[in-house]
Amino acid sequence: MRPVLRPWLVMLGSLPLAAAARDVIVPRAGDLSVTVYRAPDRSSPQMTLDQLGGFALVTETRTVEIPEGESRIRFEGVADGIEAESALITGLPGVVIEKNRDAEVLTPERLIEATLGKSIMLVRTNPNTGKVKRLFAKIRSDGGKHVLFETPEGIEALSCSGLPETISIITHPDLSSTPTLSARVKSPIATTAKVTLSYLARGFDWTANYTATVAADQKSMDLGAWVTLANSNGTGFPSAQTQIVAGRINHQTDEVQPFDMGPPVVAQCWPTGTTSDVAPQQIMVTAQRRFETLEVATPVAAAMPLAARAMLVQLEQLGDLKLYRVPERTTLNSRQIKQVRLLDRQNIPVQLFYGADLPANSAVAPEAANRTLRTRNDTAHHLGVPLPSGEVASFMKVKDTTVLLDEVHLRDTRVDEDIELDVGTSPDVQVKAVREKTNAYTRPPFLRGIVRYPTALLDEVNRVEIHNATPTEIKVELRLQLPDGTQLVAADATIETRDGRPVFSLPVPANRTATVRYQTEHVARRK
Amino acid sequence: MKAKTPLWIGSAVSALGALPAVAADHDIAVTIYSNDTALIQDHRSIDVTGGRQRLEFQNVSARIRPETVALAADGITIVEQNFDFDLLTPAKMMEKAVGQEVTLVRTVPGNGAETREKALVLATNEGVVLKIGERIEILRDDGMPVRVIFDKLPENLRARPTLSVTVNSPKGGSRPATLTYLTPGLGWKADYVALYNEADSKLDVQGWVTLTNSTGTTYDDAKTMLVAASPGEHAAATNTWAPRRPQRSEVVQPGTESGSRERVGDFYLYPIAERTTIANLQTKQVSFLDVHGVPAEHAYEFRNPWLGTAEKPQNAQSVYRFTTSAKAGLGDQLPAGTLRFYMHDKRGEPQFIGESQIDHTPMGSLLSLSTGDAFDVKVQPTVVKRTALGDFNWRTEMRYSLTNALPKPITVALLQDGLWGDSTITAESQKSKRRNADSAEWTVQIPANGKAEVTATITTRF
Repeated sequence: MRPVLRPWLVMLGSLPLAAAARDVIVPRAGDLSVTVYRAPDRSSPQMTLDQLGGFALVTETRTVEIPEGESRIRFEGVADGIEAESALITGLPGVVIEKNRDAEVLTPERLIEATLGKSIMLVRTNPNTGKVKRLFAKIRSDGGKHVLFETPEGIEALSCSGLPETISIITHPDLSSTPTLSARVKSPIATTAKVTLSYLARGFDWTANYTATVAADQKSMDLGAWVTLANSNGTGFPSAQTQIVAGRINHQTDEVQPFDMGPPVVAQCWPTGTTSDVAPQQIMVTAQRRFETLEVATPVAAAMPLAARAMLVQLEQLGDLKLYRVPERTTLNSRQIKQVRLLDRQNIPVQLFYGADLPANSAVAPEAANRTLRTRNDTAHHLGVPLPSGEVASFMKVKDTTVLLDEVHLRDTRVDEDIELDVGTSPDVQVKAVREKTNAYTRPPFLRGIVRYPTALLDEVNRVEIHNATPTEIKVELRLQLPDGTQLVAADATIETRDGRPVFSLPVPANRTATVRYQTEHVARRK
Repeated sequence: MKAKTPLWIGSAVSALGALPAVAADHDIAVTIYSNDTALIQDHRSIDVTGGRQRLEFQNVSARIRPETVALAADGITIVEQNFDFDLLTPAKMMEKAVGQEVTLVRTVPGNGAETREKALVLATNEGVVLKIGERIEILRDDGMPVRVIFDKLPENLRARPTLSVTVNSPKGGSRPATLTYLTPGLGWKADYVALYNEADSKLDVQGWVTLTNSTGTTYDDAKTMLVAASPGEHAAATNTWAPRRPQRSEVVQPGTESGSRERVGDFYLYPIAERTTIANLQTKQVSFLDVHGVPAEHAYEFRNPWLGTAEKPQNAQSVYRFTTSAKAGLGDQLPAGTLRFYMHDKRGEPQFIGESQIDHTPMGSLLSLSTGDAFDVKVQPTVVKRTALGDFNWRTEMRYSLTNALPKPITVALLQDGLWGDSTITAESQKSKRRNADSAEWTVQIPANGKAEVTATITTRF
């Protein structure tokens, strides 16, 4: 039993697509420019080639011979993911009557649909002799996606006899092989025009991938970054000027619907129940669809510290956004992932501290503190460039090898903004919170100026212990999360405020334990 | 296509441009509404024999709403209308051949010789049972090649769902008829291209109407009219766009000017000047607006949705304001759609900088459209202290830290929302304006590469 009928459709010749009179086909040539925008709401740090949520602005220049009078200019080879409503054509002489984008492309299904009722050639091959018999027939139905045809003998169903048979199409429909954008123009004279075509296209995305290499003394780091660009379109962009735009912009992105394949045609015959248990034959005729899932993992080589100097992208301001220009023309191929260097900075001074985020008034079992590097995005810290959001892989050089410390997300960071980079947790620094069952501080002894409201109730005293098993003195920052209406009324350490939250910042000597007590009050509501 | 043409020719759904010129007696008018609905008026000449007769209509929308079909012609009465979905398939052919004779052609595997015999189809349940002479056989039980040839096509089976109307006419003859129906799958919206010139704060705006056809049918040489209205939809949801952020109103001030465009009732009409072919799965764009040098204002806006703290500084929104007034504005009413902003980069090439949705907007309106986040302008709202003043009475001290990493001074509209009910600002570092009961607005100047701070004490009751 043949599960699939292979060369089901025999096309005559190479099928030069018939162009209606006055059609001008403009092949792809000339100047190309691609500006890639990232997915506004991508949640996963990784890009998946078949689910790219970003988009690109494609601008191309083509030279067109325009005849006098009305004509249809067809631009072939635009990106599959073109958002037709965003297409702009400039440089056409005369009047542009309308612009069209035809999503019906040539597939076996569409071919049969377009041939319905027309003459075709039926090709039967004698399996024994190999002799080919051709006879004229007409497709009478592809209804319900099954094919029936009529020969002088009568009506038959295609591929139901068990004999090798196929159809070959004599006339061909006016369908393009690729999605095509066209414009109907009226020109007073025949002329050669340089036409610029620009459109937004789906199926693109980019991310920034940073590598932070922390020095052995943990007082400085080197920061490098790649821009990872992805194009899932079936269309490539050879020798294009490439730009990347950082910053979150409003754009409605739908699912990528590259183009219409048409429904599959299933050559399903009459019921073939048998007296044996041979499976019935079903033949599926469909255009080849690609189902690949490619996770765009950051190549290991890219994540590792860079030895050679790479060409850096150039930054410029675009309104309220940041535009990065790849300095040389580059080729962005179909279904490709590409990397270009974003930045390389050395000896950035950093400050290491250990942190814990504690919900107020709850017990916390001992847990490892976060190790965080703090620096500032300014020239004094050898930075001072806008940092587009992306993933940061932090490494540390230990003797001859490099160790991966952590992988975290960095948000869009402007110049002069503080940067806090988590570099793993430390099992040697443990933080524990305990609710003590005494109301030790019934009258707040430490904080002055706090007016207690008569209905306010004091909470229990909380104790936070920090156990330092490292051989050095460390700096620890404890951040408290206070519910609304709850105030800190007493503590035996200095209270700082950072980002609107109380922070205890204290040194813990080597191999010692430090303790902080605090007490809050909240407003009791009358029942 | 004429109703009288044989089924298998008429049912060809034409591909783009594959059809010959439409006969002069066939005229289609398409009126498209903004909510994916279209009214099709199909004028064609029909041949009527006297008495009762079935008329078939090919090339109507594959997504036709059969309950809206109306046929109008002189001197006919309509008996019934049918929309048949029984499709012509091999299995259906065999089913309809039960009790009838078919021809079997067997090919001998050894030498390829053919033998023919007649067979009577007895049953087609889970397999075809045939009676050949006196023998009963099951079709292709042995897996050997057998061709089955049917003499004729059964009636009622069609390659495509077909609309048919049974009419009664006292006298025969050819006459013009109009078939009217509604169909989903044809829709339109507006797409605007706005090029912002930073140097002189001017906008060039082009408007295109974008027409989409997913009805499965091509309308050749149709007279096309677009109506800026959504009939049958009382909610103003003209598109399924779901905002990512709390909805902000794009229209600051609705306009009160009347445009010169054609109107039906209160709806504006956008006729397409020339006849056009709307192919299946096609997106078509026709220009309707081209205005240069509209003064526009670039501004920043930040909205704190409730009296809360942001852990990290948040980006302000980049906003463009302009008017649709005839004076110093676009001078047109705008049908609902998407406005895309572009700006020239350092090399003078236009780059996309964000988009905004607009609703049907009357002429004379002031629009304030957001394109997205401003990378260099951030605001961090902080609750400094929240004190309970009573059971349901709170005092909140807010601090807003604003930063500007741009090399020029800017103005940010800082909005605090969520001031419902009995909320008052008891102290503030600069005067605020209450846009409405729920929100307060501070206009904050930030120097180039600088900072600004606003503090406010707000009492609320909740």
